[in-house]
Amino acid sequence: MTVAALIIAAALAAVAVLFVARPFLRSAGTREEPIRDSDAAELRRLELLEERDRALASLKELEFDHRTGKISDDDYRELVGPLRREAAAAIKALDPAAPPARSGEVEGSAAAADRDPERI
Amino acid sequence: MVALSVAAVLAVFLLYTSFAGGATESLRPSQIVAGDYAGKGVQLAGIVIGPVTGDARGSGLRFRLKDFDGKQTVPVVYKGSVPDLFRGGRHVFLQGALENGTFVGKPDSLVTKCPSKYAPKKTSSS
Amino acid sequence: MPGLGRAALVLALGLVLYAVLAGGYASLSGRRRLGDSARNALVAAFVACLAAGGVLLAAFLTDDLSFAYVAEHSSRDLPARYAFTALWSGQEGSLLFWVTILTGMGSVAVLLNRRLVAEVLPWTVPILAAVAGYFVIVLVFVSSPFETQAAPIDGAGLNPSLQNPYMMIHPPMLYLGYVGLTIPFAFAMAALASKRTDERWIFATRRWTLASWMFLGFGILLGSKWAYEEVGWGGWYAWDPVENAALMPWLVATAFLHSVMVQEKKNMLRVWNVVLVALAFGLSIFGTFLTRSGVINSIHSFSQSPIGAWFLGFLCVIAVFSIAMIMWRLPILRSRTKMESLVSREAAFLYNNLFLVAFALTVLWGVAYPMVSEAVRGVASTVGAPYYNFFGVVFGLPLVVLMGIGPLVAWRRASLRQLGASVAWPAGVAVVTGGVLLAAGAGSSLLGMVGYTFAAFVIAAVVLEFVRGTRARKSLGEATWVGAFTSLVGRNRRRYGGYIVHASIALLLVGAVGIGVYGTTSIRKLEPGQTMEVGGYTLRYLGSTQDRVANRTELRARLAVSRGDKPLGTLAAGKNRYLEGSREVSNEVGIRTDWLRAQDLFVIADRFNADGSVWLKVLVNPLVNLIWISGLIFLLGALVTMWPDAREQRRLAKRFALARA
Repeated sequence: MTVAALIIAAALAAVAVLFVARPFLRSAGTREEPIRDSDAAELRRLELLEERDRALASLKELEFDHRTGKISDDDYRELVGPLRREAAAAIKALDPAAPPARSGEVEGSAAAADRDPERI
Repeated sequence: MVALSVAAVLAVFLLYTSFAGGATESLRPSQIVAGDYAGKGVQLAGIVIGPVTGDARGSGLRFRLKDFDGKQTVPVVYKGSVPDLFRGGRHVFLQGALENGTFVGKPDSLVTKCPSKYAPKKTSSS
Repeated sequence: MPGLGRAALVLALGLVLYAVLAGGYASLSGRRRLGDSARNALVAAFVACLAAGGVLLAAFLTDDLSFAYVAEHSSRDLPARYAFTALWSGQEGSLLFWVTILTGMGSVAVLLNRRLVAEVLPWTVPILAAVAGYFVIVLVFVSSPFETQAAPIDGAGLNPSLQNPYMMIHPPMLYLGYVGLTIPFAFAMAALASKRTDERWIFATRRWTLASWMFLGFGILLGSKWAYEEVGWGGWYAWDPVENAALMPWLVATAFLHSVMVQEKKNMLRVWNVVLVALAFGLSIFGTFLTRSGVINSIHSFSQSPIGAWFLGFLCVIAVFSIAMIMWRLPILRSRTKMESLVSREAAFLYNNLFLVAFALTVLWGVAYPMVSEAVRGVASTVGAPYYNFFGVVFGLPLVVLMGIGPLVAWRRASLRQLGASVAWPAGVAVVTGGVLLAAGAGSSLLGMVGYTFAAFVIAAVVLEFVRGTRARKSLGEATWVGAFTSLVGRNRRRYGGYIVHASIALLLVGAVGIGVYGTTSIRKLEPGQTMEVGGYTLRYLGSTQDRVANRTELRARLAVSRGDKPLGTLAAGKNRYLEGSREVSNEVGIRTDWLRAQDLFVIADRFNADGSVWLKVLVNPLVNLIWISGLIFLLGALVTMWPDAREQRRLAKRFALARA
């Protein structure tokens, strides 16, 4: 290798090593906070949140599909009840301390979500 | 239920490949001469050995094909499109069948291959 | 300078090994700083690969023929802009290109999802580094781009058919697609390793998967356009193994994009999704191997290039690893939800998946069978277009029908009556279209009629969905129709972007049927002054010309084209004979596109005879340009689906924060 190539290679290696060592150099001396693995409670909560979001999104979709005519009135009536119960159950499971969600609350939640999905 | 559908689908294509025979054998001159391939539609692959005579757009282009790593040659007669890169020493493929010791090529099936490039040079769609 | 390139690669190797080992240990023991360090090593490896690439590029630009690779793929007269094309035209350079993109994309993916990777999916870094490591090992020990030699007078030159703008974009597009599929694979495997069954890995990698799928699909079409114009046999897709190499992962990625939606809505198909992601990645490695190792083109199989064995080994490692991971986590991965009805959107997606994967597997069999048969029986074989066309139709037509029905059917459960009501209008449109086509004379081919009417069905279904949705949004209080339309698409980017993609595939089908089924061909020998008739056109051979241009001789047959008694100008077709370098002869076709009639007049000068006459093959290709147009619409649809949705991001962020709380 030519001298120039050697110098460039060495420089590259040096920068790389520095960059790789950076996390250690930056917080040298301080105690490292170990990565906390998600505990069972957190995973369960995540699962419930997913279920709740899923139920609410399905409700919203059901409404929209009914409005566009993809789902008939009969089908809508049949499907909306169980879905609302599912959503209510998911919300209740997340916060058992809160008063039981009435069907109106779920419906309001879904209708409001329809207009502004950020509320979910 | 999923497994059933998958099985049904697989059955369809296995049936096709076994009966209709989607694959064509690709032979070297030594193989086609040694085996019993008279009249059977196959692909022949080899190196072009001159002299190259005749007219592919006339009564037929005549040449011989040789094994890559052997001496066996087979006479070939071919009509149709001839790739630009065709010449003695080139590696070519063509479809056809052995008839009375001469390989009669299927029209427009002659293809040259360039191993180090992106795609084979085609002259016509199969 | 080659020494610098080699050193850069060795540096990359060291960094990548560190990333694997340190990243693995950090993931096992939960050490944050070590994990960050491993991530930095991956980023540094990217810089090292860039450096190596820079050395190679500089060699091309300065015509440094002491590099064996440069001498093999370039020549002194190569225009500078094609230095890039030459860079990735050979095996070693394209492997370097692959690993540079991988470390680059990997770095970006990991940096953008810094917290997720550090805290939830730490195994992502070692997995990405391991894949990169395999390539770097091959580059350092087996197939180095930095081999040197005594510099020859001039290089062998770049294949002239590669010297065009398409070949500057087509390979990078494909590579972005192939490589991009590694990202969801790494995240998925990391999720399995960390015992996570939630959807975070899917959300984090959704845009990567969409982007890769988009690049792969568009890359395939670009390749087809190149083949149509440059290879010029009159067709656009030859079921060549190299073409199929990209098609297979694309089909599986399409299946994955659909089944992932089922997981989102109903928490089902979780195992299937991980299987698909691993399959897509495996196929992309297989595709790279096929295209780059020359294993298909030569009648002697793996023995020609040692790289064949390396890739096969890599594929085995990937397969064993993926299967092991999935089996290990199967108990927690299995979903408990069942499918409610066979007539529902979930079911439609499942059927779509089955057909797509089945088709991908048949293509795989078609590609692999020749290699397998040669290895096992000693007799090679080839699989031709009839095999692929048969299965293309058998699996493709139901897929097209599903493309139309899927959007029209609701999630969970749809009554057949309701479905029938939704399907009625698009089906009616299809029938009417069929009638019109029959009257116009397209009845000569049943297959063609079926293809056209099914495509019409899909397009009508898409239009219906847009109309229904816009109307519904308007009734919800949007002020204008335009406002309703934009808010419809804006709130459901994935759905309506997907519908646009469906429409693009339907258009592709129309184009493919047009050129495939309704074209005309004629082969004639013409003396100067003689004419021939094809598909209503009259071509008169004016004579041939020979011009010396730049580095080649251009031989052209000049033709006067007319339709009836209306002259339409001239067309030239012929051959280029390259004088230096490769001394290749390339086929230069003459194409005249008639937009009003929606057809191409395609002329191939098959042979120039000594007496001044010429053999011409002339084709009329109806609707072929729809294929390229559909590619643009495909891009549009894909971009719409990928468009970032701030509302959704916020919602997801809130969800994960809530879980942690």
